[in-house]
Order: sequence, then C-alpha cells, then structure tokens
Amino acid sequence: MRRTSRPRALTAGLAGITAGLLLLTACSGGGEAVDLDGDTAGGASGAAGGEATGPVLRAAIAGEPDQLDPQSTSSYFSFEVLENVFDTLVEPDENLEMQPALAESWETSEDGLTWTFHLRDGVTFHDGSDFTAEDVVYSYDRIVDDELSNAWKFGSVTDVVATDDSTVTITVSAPTPNLLSSLGGFKGLAIVDQANVESGDITTKPIGTGPFSLADYTPGDSIDLVANPDYWGGAPEIGGVHYTFVSEGSTAIAALQNGEIDWTDSIPAQQLETLQGAEGVEVGVTPSNDYWYLALNEAKAPWNTVAARQAIAYAIDRDAILQAVSYGTAAENQLAIPQESVWYTEYDTYSHDEARAQQLLAEAGVTGGVSIDFLATSDYPETVTAAQIIASDLEPLGITVNIRTVDFATWLDEQNSGNFDLLMMGWLGNIDPDDFYYSQHHTDGGSNAQGYSNPQVDEWLDAARTETDTEARKELYAQAATTIADEGSYIYLYNPSVIQAWSTDLGGYTARSDRAIRFRDVTLAEG
Amino acid sequence: MTALVPDERAATATGRPAAGWRLLLDSPVNVVSAVVLLVVLVVALLGPTLAPYPVNAVDVPAALQPPSGAHWFGTDDLGRDVLSRTLVATRVSLQVALVAVAFALVVGVGVGIVSGYAGGWLDTVLMRVVDVMFAFPVMLLALAIVAVLGPGLTTTQLAIGIVYTPIFARVARASALAVRVEPYVQVSRTMGTGHALILRRHVLPGIAGPVIVQTSLSIAFGILSEAALSFLGLGVQPPRPSWGRMLFDAQGFLAQAWWMALFPGLAIFVSVLAFNLLGDGLRDVLDPRQRSLLRTRRLLREARR
Repeated sequence: MRRTSRPRALTAGLAGITAGLLLLTACSGGGEAVDLDGDTAGGASGAAGGEATGPVLRAAIAGEPDQLDPQSTSSYFSFEVLENVFDTLVEPDENLEMQPALAESWETSEDGLTWTFHLRDGVTFHDGSDFTAEDVVYSYDRIVDDELSNAWKFGSVTDVVATDDSTVTITVSAPTPNLLSSLGGFKGLAIVDQANVESGDITTKPIGTGPFSLADYTPGDSIDLVANPDYWGGAPEIGGVHYTFVSEGSTAIAALQNGEIDWTDSIPAQQLETLQGAEGVEVGVTPSNDYWYLALNEAKAPWNTVAARQAIAYAIDRDAILQAVSYGTAAENQLAIPQESVWYTEYDTYSHDEARAQQLLAEAGVTGGVSIDFLATSDYPETVTAAQIIASDLEPLGITVNIRTVDFATWLDEQNSGNFDLLMMGWLGNIDPDDFYYSQHHTDGGSNAQGYSNPQVDEWLDAARTETDTEARKELYAQAATTIADEGSYIYLYNPSVIQAWSTDLGGYTARSDRAIRFRDVTLAEG
Repeated sequence: MTALVPDERAATATGRPAAGWRLLLDSPVNVVSAVVLLVVLVVALLGPTLAPYPVNAVDVPAALQPPSGAHWFGTDDLGRDVLSRTLVATRVSLQVALVAVAFALVVGVGVGIVSGYAGGWLDTVLMRVVDVMFAFPVMLLALAIVAVLGPGLTTTQLAIGIVYTPIFARVARASALAVRVEPYVQVSRTMGTGHALILRRHVLPGIAGPVIVQTSLSIAFGILSEAALSFLGLGVQPPRPSWGRMLFDAQGFLAQAWWMALFPGLAIFVSVLAFNLLGDGLRDVLDPRQRSLLRTRRLLREARR
C-alpha cells in the first residue's frame, strides 16, 4: 500500500527551482565521488552484458522518479522503472495471486508461526555478485531497522533468519495469512544489494536481480535500462527500455501517435476517446485496485456524529463526480475493494438524496450555516474537480465549502495535523483486504487521520489479521467494511481504471490492475 | 493670417491640465483604450448581474459544450457557463491588480520620496534593499512569497504588491531627487517649512506624472501576474473564477474545448493591451519632452489645414 506522489501539477516555477537544486546537488555529489561512481557503473554494465542486443522500448512516464531506492521511495514514477530492475521473494500475477519469484517455494509450519522460503539457485545481482539468503535478511532488516515506509508490513514478523545460503525462515507472532502479499505486493519490498545501499549509490544507480539493469540515469531527462542476459526468468527479448518523463498528456499522446514513443501512461481521461480510435495505438483500460474516498475530520463538530457524515454521503452526486473525474473509465463503489477482487462485498446504501441529507443534518443538530474546509491538492487534479462538484452539491444544504488547494507535501502535513474538515484522496496498489481497511479505520491505525474509532470494527480487523480460513476472513472484512461505510469513516467514491496506451508494435503487454509496469516478457517489432 | 491661428491655439493650449487631456484624446488609440477600460470597469462592477448563469452552477451532463445560443462562450469541464465565468472573473482579476498596485504605489512612493528627499544613509539603505528586490525575477519573487504565505486571493494581492513596490520606489526617488534641488523647494525650506509639508506640497505633485504612467503600466502587469499565479494554481482558489484560473482549468482540454481557454485568454489580452496603450499615451502627455513633441505635431497638423 502506498500513496504515491505524482507531482504533476507542481507549479512550473517551483518545479524549476527544485530541478535546479537537484541538478546542483547532483553535480556537487558527483564531483566528490567520481572514481567510485565510475567503477561501479563500469562494473554494472560490464556484468550485465553491456550493449543492448534487441530493439529498445521507448516509454514515456508521467513524471520523474524522486530516487531509485525501491525501499525508500514512495513515488509511483520510481516504481514504474524499478518494477523492471528489482525482484521480490514472491510477486503477484495478473490475478494478484502470489507466485514464486526469488523464492522458488515455501511452506508454513502447523501452527502458522514459521514460514520457510526456499530461494532460487544461481541468481546473481547485476554487478555479478551472488544472491543469497543473507541478502533477504539484510533487505528486510533494513526496512524494519531504518523504519522505512513499509516497515509496518512486518508488524507481525518477529524474526528473519538465513538458515543456510538458500533458505530463509521468517517467524511471526501470530498466524499471518497475508504475509505473502505483504512481502511481494510491490517492489517496495525488493531485495537490495548491501554494498549498493551502503555506498549510497542505490538512489541513482540501483543494483537488483531483475530482468533489466540500470545503464544510465540523466536527471531531468531520461533513464536507460539494459536487458539482463542472466535473468533467472530468461533474458528479455527486447534490448532495453528508454524512459522519458512527459507530464503533459497531450504531448505524450502526440508522441505515441507519431511513433516517437512505444508506451505511455501519461493520458488524461478526457483524451481517451480521441486515442481509442487512433491507428497503430492500443489502449489498455483495466479496472484497478485503487480507490478514492472522502473523509470527514471526526475531531471536529458536527462531523463527530454519524448522522452528519451520512448527510454528506447522501448529499453528493456520485454520478457527476465519476463523470467529471474519469469520463466513464472508473467504477462507482461505495466500499474500497473493487468488484473484480475475490474480496469484493456488495454495498450500495447511499444514493443522491438531498431530502435525506437535510433530515440527517437536522438529526445531527446542525442548524444554520456551516462552512467546510475542503483540503484538496493540485498534484491530484481529481480532488480539485470533485471538490467543486461537492461544493455545489452542499450549497443547497446551507453548507459553504471553502476549497484549499495545496501541494501534496503540504497536503500530507495538513492531513496529519488534522487541519481539515473534509478531504478527498486515493489509496493505490492495495492487494490484501488488510491493506484496504486496517491502518485507515482501526483505532490505532497509522493512517486513520479522520480519527474513526469503533471497538467492534477494531475487533473484526484484528481477528481478520490472524484468521487463516479464507471464507471466515472474508466475512470479517465484509462486516468491518460495511460498518465503516455505514458510519461514514470513509465515504467511498470509486475505483479508477489503469489507463495506458502503447504502439501496436509492442506485443505481449497487458495493463495490470496493480499498476505494475512489467516489460520483461514483451516483444517489439522493429521499424 | 493663417499663421496666426496656430499661435492662438498654442496660447490656449498652455493651460494645464485641460491641454493634457486634449492631447491625450487626440490619439484614437488612447480613446479606444480608455473606452475599453471603461467597459472592463463596468463589467467588473456589474459582473454577477450581467452573467446569464450562476457562476458556480455545476451541471456535469452539460459539460464541454461548444459555443451555442444558450451558452455563447460554451461550457467548461463541469458544465459551467464560460461567458458567466469570464464576466465574473473580471472583478477578481481587476481587483487583484488594483489592490496590488495600490499597495505598491503607497509603499513604493512613500519609500521613494523619503529616500530621495532625505538622501544620506537612509537613502543608501533603502535603495540597496530595493536593489536586492530588483535582483529577483518578478515571477520568482512572487512565487516565493505565495509559497511562504500559502495560496489565496489575499496573498496573491500581497505578493504582486510587494513585487512591484521597488519599481515605484525607483521612479518616485528619481523624481524626488530632481524636485528637491528646485529653487522653490529650497526657498520654501529656508522659509522654515516643515519636511512633511514640503513632501506633500512640492515633492508629491512633482512626481505625479511618472507615477501615474507607472501605475497604468503596472496594473497591466498586475493582471498578467495574477493570471500567471492563478495559472500555476497558486492564486485565486476554485471554484472562484479568475482569468488565469480559467486558463489553468482549460489546459487539460485544449484539444477538446478550445473555448475554455480562448475567451479568458482574450479577456486578458484585451484589458492588458488597453492598460499598456493608455499608459503609453499618458507618458507621451505627461513627460515634458514628449509633450512638447506632441504639441509641435499638433500645431503642424493644424497649420497644414
């Protein structure tokens, strides 16, 4: 689970300043470590087999990675690249079921407290060094010890031990049915190389075990990956990937249609229609596991009452919001987990009903005008668009909505310090239902910024964490989710689609519902 | 006989300010600019009453409609009427520019005349501060100020005001330096007039010309700066419309809905052009050298008839 930061609409001027600073730092840093950098870079590309042997895929992503350390970054742009550079112990297939990756097989003890992973033999890092159980232990210890953003995924893990070179044993304090998706859900849990981390090179010259190795990173311009001929899953057919950063959707679409790039995800929903009929272009629209929601600050009156929160849920026009933010590509959902998931629960309590909203407001004791501070962020334009629709929906109820648009860093600060009445945001890349509900709605949850607390819900969420019977677990989450929505902890809005487009020359690629961009199995017709 | 007529005219034209106004209105460009600005001002005052639709009335099913009889300027991505928003935005855009320039005018002229009149270390300190502010590109400084104070209407006004203050300080100081050494000021001083009175009675009127010109030009730049800040999402907050904000909202829809960007863009273009042209005209009239040039031209024209 990660809230990815897409600084798309960060003001051009400020972005210019930041870019300037980054360049300066890059220059001065490079000056001090010239020799070291030169050595590792040479070693890496030498070991990876040097020059590309097949056609190079040109991909335009919507923004530049903040850094290339998979365990530290929370930017989706970074993962669009790193998905192809790093591996995890297990990884999700198209149906988001966990499959072997660096771990060939695994077993669980009778009591469910010990997991033994058997690692794949003969895997090497891009610099030529062997991948061993020690690397797994180091990688996981680093996430936990340095309190990196994914440390919470190891909440129930008490110990990670390398039993021998190719076996890792993980001990948990209670049965953890979602351990596999915690360890393999996305590349934030990647296995990294200790020397690469300790030299600090990982932020610009990461070394992984994945299908491609990093050949070149020019900040502000591009990233080049070269196929790894020694990849354990078989060398990729294409010679490499050339990433460029194109935040302006129209530019990316024009480049795709002119054959200047082969793949992009920089596509505003409103331009999808024009793209869909275009020649030589294939468009992938896949329902995703992401979800967008509204949250009311329960530390403030009248939003501490269930009725007041329900009033907002009835007052908003979901159809209008859906149309304006997604142009028909998103799916309405009043819970978090999308219909395609095995964990889906049907729920459609709320409808656009002004009279009901009015009545609930009266029940909550709201009389006279109320004003709401709506925290939106220009980095996610959908929040600003929806905010304006919501403002117009709430006006007849005597609620004045003041929209405050800030950059995402400020947004996070304001959210965490409780400086808002209402906010809209999305969670991306969830797989297990625990990702969807626990930290957002448990009284002690790390992401419960709205301050929701219901002992009954806590009990269900805690029990579901250790419940090994899938059906029973599903029932627990269904109960918890329904209550959460009934009481308006989150007012769930919709599940957006993953929208990507690529040239018809590109074969074997699919837009995945978890937004992982995998290029290892694709083919590219030259021409 | 014919030669006498211009002489008479010239004699009547020496009286100010009537002659100034007449010179100003001599040029059709100035007249058109003034009329345009008058229209802009009226729209700014009456905007919401002139608008055919409520300005924030969201109607998503009617989104992105091209210009038609019902919506002359089309509708935007949320189905709001672009004509209504352009009209209402006039007030916001103009208000930001006027308030900001008024701030810059008061502070800048205050600093400028004190600095120029007092001279000495005070002059040095104030002018170095002004130099430092000048060293920053205008937009960069405005962006930095908004970044610190947070986006919004008030901070936008303040940011633009601060950014344009040094220009007024420079202009006022230069004029004050010139006026200070005029004999009538010297005499007034020897007669025991207080500094405050001298500043008010002699220096301030003496610098009026250049400051009026600078004001007109700065309002044009103020409108542009507001548009730029709002375009970057830092100025006026949605759903309130300003011309820049409307352009910002339009940028994702250029291929589908040209009307979302065209009309607010035109509004900016026309009003900035009008302020600039009027500023130019004012300078020609108020600058003594330019004025005598204009007078001569006028006389020649009259003479030829």
